[in-house]
Amino acid sequence: MNRTANSSARPLLRSFPTEYLGLTLALSALVGVFSLITDHFFSVTTFRTIANQIPSAVLVATAMTYLLVIAEIDLSVGSVLGFCSAVLGVAMTQWHWPLPLAVIGTIAAGLLCGAFNGLVSVHWRLPSFIVTLGMLEMARGAAHAVTRSQTQYIGSSVEAIAGTSICGLSLPFLLAMVIVVAAQLVLTRTVFGRYLVAIGTNAEAVRLSGIDPRPIKLAVFLLTGLLVALAAIIDTSRFQSANPNAGTGFELQAIAAAVIGGTSLMGGRGSVVPTLFGVLITAVLNTGLAAVGARDETKRLITGLVIIAAVILDQYRHRLGAKWKNS
Amino acid sequence: MLNRKVIYPTFVSTLATTLFFVAGCQRNDNSQSGTPGKPRVALVMKSLANEFFLTMESGARAHQKAHAAEYELLVNGIKDELDVSRQIDLVEQMIAQKVNAIVIAPADSKALVPVCKKAQQAGIVVVNIDNKFDDAVLGDSGLKLPFVGPDNRKGARAVGDLLAKKLKTGDQVAIVEGAPNAFNGLQRKAGFEDAMKAAGMNIVGSQSGYWETDKANPVVAAMLTEHPGLKALLCANDNMALGAVAALRAAGKQEQVLVVGYDGIGAVRQLLKEGNVLATADQHADQLAVFGIEYALEMLKTKSAPADRNTPVDVVSTP
Amino acid sequence: MNSGTPLLAIDRLCKAYAGPVLDGIAFDLLAGEVHALVGENGAGKSTLSKIVAGLVQPDEGTMTLRGQPYAPHNKNGAERQGVRMVMQELNLIGNLTVAESVLLGNLPHRWGWIDWRELRDRARGIFERVGLTDIDPGCFVKSLGVGRQQLVEIAAVLARPCDVLILDEPTAALTAPEIERLFVEIAKLKAAGTAILYISHRMEEIQRISDRISVLRDGRLIATRPAAELSLDEIVRMMVGRELGEAIHRESVTAGPVALRVEGLRRGDAVRDVSFETRRGEILGFAGLMGSGRTETMRALFGADRADGGEIFLCDEEKPVRIRSPRDAVRRGIALLTENRKEEGLLLPLPIRANITFLCLGQLSRAGGWIRAATELAEATRWGNALSVRCHSYEQRVDELSGGNQQKVMIAKWLFRNCDVLIFDEPTRGIDVGAKFEIYQLLADLAAQGKAVIVVSSDLKELMALCDRIAVMSAGRVAATFRRGEWTQDKIMTAALSGYLNQ
Repeated sequence: MNRTANSSARPLLRSFPTEYLGLTLALSALVGVFSLITDHFFSVTTFRTIANQIPSAVLVATAMTYLLVIAEIDLSVGSVLGFCSAVLGVAMTQWHWPLPLAVIGTIAAGLLCGAFNGLVSVHWRLPSFIVTLGMLEMARGAAHAVTRSQTQYIGSSVEAIAGTSICGLSLPFLLAMVIVVAAQLVLTRTVFGRYLVAIGTNAEAVRLSGIDPRPIKLAVFLLTGLLVALAAIIDTSRFQSANPNAGTGFELQAIAAAVIGGTSLMGGRGSVVPTLFGVLITAVLNTGLAAVGARDETKRLITGLVIIAAVILDQYRHRLGAKWKNS
Repeated sequence: MLNRKVIYPTFVSTLATTLFFVAGCQRNDNSQSGTPGKPRVALVMKSLANEFFLTMESGARAHQKAHAAEYELLVNGIKDELDVSRQIDLVEQMIAQKVNAIVIAPADSKALVPVCKKAQQAGIVVVNIDNKFDDAVLGDSGLKLPFVGPDNRKGARAVGDLLAKKLKTGDQVAIVEGAPNAFNGLQRKAGFEDAMKAAGMNIVGSQSGYWETDKANPVVAAMLTEHPGLKALLCANDNMALGAVAALRAAGKQEQVLVVGYDGIGAVRQLLKEGNVLATADQHADQLAVFGIEYALEMLKTKSAPADRNTPVDVVSTP
Repeated sequence: MNSGTPLLAIDRLCKAYAGPVLDGIAFDLLAGEVHALVGENGAGKSTLSKIVAGLVQPDEGTMTLRGQPYAPHNKNGAERQGVRMVMQELNLIGNLTVAESVLLGNLPHRWGWIDWRELRDRARGIFERVGLTDIDPGCFVKSLGVGRQQLVEIAAVLARPCDVLILDEPTAALTAPEIERLFVEIAKLKAAGTAILYISHRMEEIQRISDRISVLRDGRLIATRPAAELSLDEIVRMMVGRELGEAIHRESVTAGPVALRVEGLRRGDAVRDVSFETRRGEILGFAGLMGSGRTETMRALFGADRADGGEIFLCDEEKPVRIRSPRDAVRRGIALLTENRKEEGLLLPLPIRANITFLCLGQLSRAGGWIRAATELAEATRWGNALSVRCHSYEQRVDELSGGNQQKVMIAKWLFRNCDVLIFDEPTRGIDVGAKFEIYQLLADLAAQGKAVIVVSSDLKELMALCDRIAVMSAGRVAATFRRGEWTQDKIMTAALSGYLNQ
């Protein structure tokens, strides 16, 4: 009856047409509008461009969805992305590490930040909002510290990751899609996923059922660290350079994508595939507005309105769906 | 009856007073034991999280070390370029500390004018660097401040002129602007436009990339799709040029589209060598603050009337 | 003051929530008397006092104050007419200073700026009335102990003139000298003609200070008598009533071996020293007044709250088991069905299926934790049907179910987990009568299957109908344990009150 991870046993494909109808419509409407008002928007190039741009956002938004499902949040994803990117850049340019080792180091940096967020908020029972707000500052500071605030140009040695393509699709894009599908399946069909939804719904009830929510929460924070590190690697490879200011404001983009996809900020309700739609809607919007050549203030106004409109549309879809079911 | 509510403020104010006195005594000691008349120069910086300003700052520090006998240097900066009120606080603190000169890179070309006027009225020499104060606001408040720094418009014009030589008249070009409220960004855009118009190019787009690689990249990618005939991208800083190059690489258009940047950061030097970026402007960031400090010291010595001074901007291009 | 005419008269007062709470109450309060209100938990004392204080509106009936109709819409309305109440739950704001919270709503100020000196002076005067000379008006409310907070609250109410004062368990958190001081103050008010409605479990207090006593039972006023005419036994008998109500038929089961033994369990003030044992095939009831530590005992035993001390033995084992978290308890086969199903038990927005299978997902999944959806639904259906949960489908959200069916889902969830010791805290709270009997039958069946069942309940009739033994808790201890046939309601009530008699 709704798209929550829990309410139907197998929502991924069988129920696709109805579950994701609202989001598909919204996305098609945006594509339609931009195709009409610009000359070259509706083209393979545009879609390849978007596919090239979204992988990092998809990974981070997926992690954010998991966090929101367990009623936590991570405001530090943007800064941690900057930090991971900085580590990768410095490891390759200053320390002259080989790419695989630098990648491992970057992932370790991401996991470290995730572990800090998770351990502090779980152990001291602090709201993750506060802890990750602290990490937002610390990770950005660390990014500037390791790079001495200088953009690190890495060059083609890091290109292998983003540059590789299989059947015309880039490696990061394929990776992002695989992760979305895997994350969706884990959330809806595994014991771990069920626990996530339960913790977000009522953590005390879970505890009194004899299941300790703390290691599960920690796992989600670690997973976030991992996905953010992967996102950083993808972006760094794409730009062939590491900018310590990378990912500024990324946390809000990720939250927006999850919310557009119908994830609740209160926990217990959320799903990964709709979050992918959220990322796509924002990406299409950005690309479209840039193609139109809209003024900056117009872009912001429209982006804000679309986020709100998408959520309202989603609400209506829920209500209509309920009516339909009852009649 | 004593309780926390009373004790705490008492404690804090006592502590503050003590610190104040200790600091005061130390300063007296300094001024007595140190060279009398050795001027104290305060450098008030914009973002310390930006490579460009960091280079500026370390240049100033190096200069002071080399001329330690001539002046003392106090460096302060704000976290990001948008924290205007914090910078105003900083200037006020410098006035309270009775420095002899303030060299300031204002975060806002208008909002900082009143506090700088206050500083000048307190007998402090104020020199404006990097981001020029708004002339209208300066005139309004009757304040005369020398600006020491690069002419961003002229620099951008020079970069644009160099680019124009590689293009044919009527070619499509696009500009990637800085943050929409930044004066130097607007100057650079204006300089690019001057050059392109003079050479008869067709500017098909001009959008903000917010100074950052990851923000400029999608904007450039969209412009490339929308204007398939694009021949050149003029970026208001080098970080955005990096984002533009990544977009070109993704679209397979590196051969077709030329990119120029601005600032001359380390990362872009490699791209210049590889030929992915045609040119950038070197404003000698490490010397920018030094120029300002030297000018302030000169003013302190000669009590000369303030006049603006332009610092050199060099175009760096593919070797 | 003429103590003959009633200051406040109440006539045919009725109030119903799910069921009737007050039924045709009629009584009066005289000026200058202390009128005690006694009754079992849920007899309607608090609701009655809240109606008088304007916090709750009656469904039917009238009140007359000083001969005028009296129908306050809220607390302020009542206070304007001189009726004030000291709540059982504290009404203070922890983050304010004592002086501020006492004079809140009436802060001395000059053009909006609080006049601190005036505030402190006034507050100090107020505190001196109740003998709180050593309290600093500038300290924060939350820095005081509960007893002192209670005194501050009382002081705050006394600070304003009132004709009718309601005190709901005012001595619950006070020490003996503080109680004495309160009684002195009550005597002064009485002499000044204030009518005092005094609610308490503590019989010796009531007998000492009250002029008249009214006994409530099941929402009805049983009697109002001069205090001097009533003995403790008589009060208790009136509180519990003469008939035991219809017994729930239960086959007597021979109790099996010991399933769980608790020795010297302690946690804070609520659980002081609790020892008991329960056997397979037996239903052990826990009776006691509100706040006697029953829920706290069960939570400590289950590891929901960490116990301060005490040992727990399973079966006939020599070594105690360590239970530091619900996880440990569940692993040992102990289940706790909490009294707040919605807040602490169920995953309300999730389907019935997910709630029932939640504890046993491991056995429903393949390697890697992939849940076998068909098996899950089949199992959920099996357990749901076994307990006859009424629903459209097992995919229905649990919060769409009635209280009784929610409780059944809870039970199904724990039965599926196959726990040996099942602790039910208030299993029939908020459940309609029909469903109650279904739940009783379920509990009896569980015992018959050889489970050890513990039932905590405030409904004495329920316990007496259901249990093989009843442990009565009073003031954090097990005051007495009765076997079926040994108990009477009088005995249980006396035991329940015993802990509060000589404190």
